[in-house]
Amino acid sequence: MAAAVGRLRAMPGGLGNALVIAALVGLIVVLALGFRRDPHDIRSAAVGKPAPAFDLAALDGGGRVALAQYRGKVVVVNFFASWCVPCREEHPALVRAWERYRTSDVVLVGVLYQDSVESGREFVRRLGTTWPTAIDDDGRTALGFGVFGIPETFFIGRDGVIAGRHIGPIDEATLIQGIDALRKTP
Amino acid sequence: MSWGELGGGALRAALLFAVMGVGASAFAARYRDVRGLLSARWCALIALGLVALADLAMVGALVTHDFRIAYVANNNALETPLFYSVISLWAALEGSILLWTLVLAGATAFVAWRGTVAMPRLATTALGILFVMLSFFLLLVTTPAADPFTPSAIVPENGRGPNALLQNNPLMALHPPLLYLGYVLFSVPFAYALASLILGEGGDRWLVATRRYALVSWALLGTGIVAGAWWSYAVLGWGGYWAWDPVENAAIMPWLTATAYLHSVMVEEKRRLLRTWNLALVIGTFALTILGTFLTRSGIVNSVHAFSLSAIGPLLLGYLVAILVVSCGLLLWRSRELADGGALGAPLSREAVFLFQNVLFVAATLTVLLGTLYPLIAEALSGTQLSIGAPYFDRVEVPIGLALLFLMGVGPQLPWHGASRATLERQFAAPAVTAALAAVVSVAAGARGAAPVLTYALAAFVAATVTQEVARGIRARGALHGERGGTAFLALFRRNGRRYGGYVVHLGIALIAVAIAASQSGTVEAEQTLAPGGSMAVAGRVITLEAIRDVDEPQRRRVVADVRVSGASGDTRLEPSVAFYPNATQPVGTPGIGAGLDEDVYVILAAYDQRGKAWATIRTRVIPFVSWLWVGGAVIGLGSVIAALPPPRRRPVRTPAVVEAAPAGAE
Amino acid sequence: MNAARWALLAAVLAVGVAALFAAWPAPAGPEERVERIVAELRCPVCQGLSVADSPSESARQMRDLVAQRVAEGRTDAEIREEFRRSYGDWVFLAPETGGPAALMWLAPLLLVAAGLAIAWSRTRARSPDARGSVAGVIAPQPPPAAVEQLRARVAREEAADL
Repeated sequence: MAAAVGRLRAMPGGLGNALVIAALVGLIVVLALGFRRDPHDIRSAAVGKPAPAFDLAALDGGGRVALAQYRGKVVVVNFFASWCVPCREEHPALVRAWERYRTSDVVLVGVLYQDSVESGREFVRRLGTTWPTAIDDDGRTALGFGVFGIPETFFIGRDGVIAGRHIGPIDEATLIQGIDALRKTP
Repeated sequence: MSWGELGGGALRAALLFAVMGVGASAFAARYRDVRGLLSARWCALIALGLVALADLAMVGALVTHDFRIAYVANNNALETPLFYSVISLWAALEGSILLWTLVLAGATAFVAWRGTVAMPRLATTALGILFVMLSFFLLLVTTPAADPFTPSAIVPENGRGPNALLQNNPLMALHPPLLYLGYVLFSVPFAYALASLILGEGGDRWLVATRRYALVSWALLGTGIVAGAWWSYAVLGWGGYWAWDPVENAAIMPWLTATAYLHSVMVEEKRRLLRTWNLALVIGTFALTILGTFLTRSGIVNSVHAFSLSAIGPLLLGYLVAILVVSCGLLLWRSRELADGGALGAPLSREAVFLFQNVLFVAATLTVLLGTLYPLIAEALSGTQLSIGAPYFDRVEVPIGLALLFLMGVGPQLPWHGASRATLERQFAAPAVTAALAAVVSVAAGARGAAPVLTYALAAFVAATVTQEVARGIRARGALHGERGGTAFLALFRRNGRRYGGYVVHLGIALIAVAIAASQSGTVEAEQTLAPGGSMAVAGRVITLEAIRDVDEPQRRRVVADVRVSGASGDTRLEPSVAFYPNATQPVGTPGIGAGLDEDVYVILAAYDQRGKAWATIRTRVIPFVSWLWVGGAVIGLGSVIAALPPPRRRPVRTPAVVEAAPAGAE
Repeated sequence: MNAARWALLAAVLAVGVAALFAAWPAPAGPEERVERIVAELRCPVCQGLSVADSPSESARQMRDLVAQRVAEGRTDAEIREEFRRSYGDWVFLAPETGGPAALMWLAPLLLVAAGLAIAWSRTRARSPDARGSVAGVIAPQPPPAAVEQLRARVAREEAADL
């Protein structure tokens, strides 16, 4: 130890300089690599895993909405709330996708997120939501899916595994693409 | 002529003068030609005038809601009150760079007219470097990437209004300008350091010339950080003031290294040691200010403060690389001239303690840097997304902070070169007993956890050493100048402001340490849903919800809860509220704060019945000693002013004739 | 031993005992366990705040879930795993203590230790012989009493006027 310290001192700054410069180069590289990354793009850990089961009270007051009852179908789960402005923006796209697939083996499920039942019902009535919607009262379903901020949409395959996720307002093309990809796989 | 044309034109003209300033200063420095210096001075002044004009044009556009400018359309609305229109100048990326440029132009002009009176060679070289930096920022604001005067693609009827968080509290007027002033003023020591390296002076003249700039910059940065913490406390509504957010980290890092520098400077002045180290600290601090700007402006980290992803990131990164390459290259090139001549004193000498303190400050800085960038590193290496937050930083930085607190008490008591054991024992007995008393009393009063108790003990230790030092100073003045009591006390601060102002700063830091320890460990929280008229009890107080009401204002709608806090010392009325801004996706909560010296009552309207206003969920936090944080910030400011004020002229002293005869500015 | 030394020793001992006493872990009840877990969980809708600090609805729901799991008798590791399943490592605000992330915990320690070692070697190792040799060249070593006197004078002047 003492010898090493002595050698370090005899060689003024040699090793130290090299270390400092290496650290600075590393810093710049890390910062430059940072450009390739979008801090708002947070990947979900839930994708690729079986969707967490839920069994929730239906928003319209009649019965329950459970994931298990759609087993074997392609399920699109959309988290929304009446206070969320982008949810209102994406709503027409959901309506069109629902019109397109409602007669096939595809189910769209809306999950009301952190909202009062009255406001949720009013939102659904005013905008004309005709697909099944459920109340995630204690937020457990959203937590299970790993929801960050709504609107958020999950694509679940026939095998019950979450195949994809979209954060933010979704458009019709993304919906169709996601659903069709899942319909092709048995 | 529109505001946009006026501002854009002024910036382009300013760029021209800044580039001319580079040439003029280089000419003045190279040929020692006074004409060059005169031209450089006028270039600096004209550039400052033009940048000021551009800033005024932006303020004018904001105040008159000129939505033809994209920045105004995105950050202002017809309903925005005048005050918030004006401070919207620094509410978003382009405007804040405009303000930054103004401060830099001001610093350049100040150096050009004041700094170059003596020492023309060093100062003119430094001035040239400042002009280069100013040119870079002017280039930045005149490229499309960050041009603040870019016209709107479509001129809207009404703008989107400022960010809701930024128009909720007047502290926003204080916090960013203080930080920018602090950040930018550090350019001056950096420019002088670089100039000294270029000229190969090797001495400490750059350091003496810029000591006051460094101190003022440090003080502004420090008070800016405290103001930011206060803003966070008063606006964000979680009862805290520091979240180790990447941008907060970006502000604290240069402050930490600048603190180290302010101390190690004294070692160079007194002992002619640590030359390379001091240069490295100045360069590092300056690079960290740019890194901070880069982190905030490039959008590569997620943060409350980060402006949206922008194209100026690569430009700023290039600037940072240029700074590092040039400074490191110069340091290596001049390393032989910079070798220290003498040796440091014993481990228990003041210079040794300064060095240990420097090591701790730099380690603290590097740890913050590592923690801030670790998510980036991990994602680049393994593709996984990670978070680093308060649990990491608290655990790592608190022990370093405690060690620094200890050294803050020890350092001022130690003489240069070292002291005998008996002297040290005599000096530290009383402060150590005070520390022990504080520890025992705090435990008796119910403090839990080793860190808070150690903080109280060390803060008392620091306070006791400062008291002891001041008392000793007064006695010494009595013995040497025959002054007594108050006169001696005032003379101490007036004649030796740097030292005793420093002690005042130490007291401010001790206050802040106590505030942090107490508020982090002693907060009591309760939450309850109440009907109007209902009440809840928390920490010996009764919180009553009296009413919930709507308040309509032009720029926003608010829901206010009228809350009465009844305690032993009487009743206080608080109005926690939630505000809805047309451009915000989420409502913005504003806490009601009943501030007191011993504890704050912090009330949040967490939820309420949107239909009938039949209930509201009230969250109450009783936070001990948190106001000492803001008091501590003010004390730091006061101490810095004492330290920065030039001492009164001394009675003429006999000095060797050689020094007297040297004409000012002879090189 | 003189009085000052006794006072110093007693004071250091008292601070140590007080800190130890305050640090003595209280038996961790379920509430403390919940607090400990949520302090390290990142609130998904906030920016960098922990679930313990965040006033948001999501944070409240996460805290409720943790409290329920604690009441059900799950271990801390099981509860953390449940959140990792849906949010990944992103949800934890502190790096792990094992694996490559352990370097994050070691780095500050190494920095401080290496820095202090270098600084210490600069002080003690060099000063006596360096001072001796310089003094030997320029002037004979003054008697110790004179050195003490000079030191005292320097200290007095420093205290009084820079």
